[in-house]
Amino acid sequence: MATVALGLVSAGLLVVVVTWGAYLASIPKGNVAARPVGSIILQLLGVGLAIVGVTWPLCEGGAPGVGLIIPASLATMMGGLFLFLLTQRKTPIGNIKVSVGDKLLAFASQDSDGNSFHSDSLAGKRVFLKFFRGGW
Amino acid sequence: MSQDLKKYDVEIMALSKDTVKDAAHNKARDGLNFTLLSDPQLEVIKQYGLEHHKAIEFSSGSFTLFGIPLALVPSVKKMAIPTSIIIDEKGIIRWIDQADDYRLRSNEDRIRAALHETFG
Repeated sequence: MATVALGLVSAGLLVVVVTWGAYLASIPKGNVAARPVGSIILQLLGVGLAIVGVTWPLCEGGAPGVGLIIPASLATMMGGLFLFLLTQRKTPIGNIKVSVGDKLLAFASQDSDGNSFHSDSLAGKRVFLKFFRGGW
Repeated sequence: MSQDLKKYDVEIMALSKDTVKDAAHNKARDGLNFTLLSDPQLEVIKQYGLEHHKAIEFSSGSFTLFGIPLALVPSVKKMAIPTSIIIDEKGIIRWIDQADDYRLRSNEDRIRAALHETFG
């Protein structure tokens, strides 16, 4: 009976970890799924397996030991985190201060070598200006 | 997409809240051959109205096993809403694209089409 519980919890944790890994790998490749249905299902499955596994001993009148509780908690937290992060993915667009046809707003910054940069240096050039969220 | 940018002689500038140090690290790590601009105080990002208040980021100090997060400190950070702007040689904005899901990049086909429409 202990092996069934441990097997379930281990399977759950494995599913959660592999799903996280696959998702993270898609980020630098630039092909993050717009609707990560498969990942969501797998995370729910992983968490489900872990919860079933950790509550399994209760059906026998026993209690889950630390060997079950720790991996089950890990799986549940990681799976839960993944699902929660997805609920936060929408950005609040609508405050943008420029429109098509406007002149670009002059700005100052620094490049990755630490040199000062000013948008005036872009005069006469065609530019693809990308604002992005920054490194992971 | 970089061929279209070269074809139309368009320079890429990518701005984020990364510090100069982080930007330099990312540029080297990803082998980027365009300019990365640092805006750690989000001054330019705010100036353009592109601040995202509720984006979640894993802050430093996370514990990873083979790159998979085991103990994370997710925190709410401010960063830019992913936005692409095409500017012509007169400094006029000709195209704007904003992501409503901050995990996703601008669609490459859309950018290619926009470049062609603007400069073709």
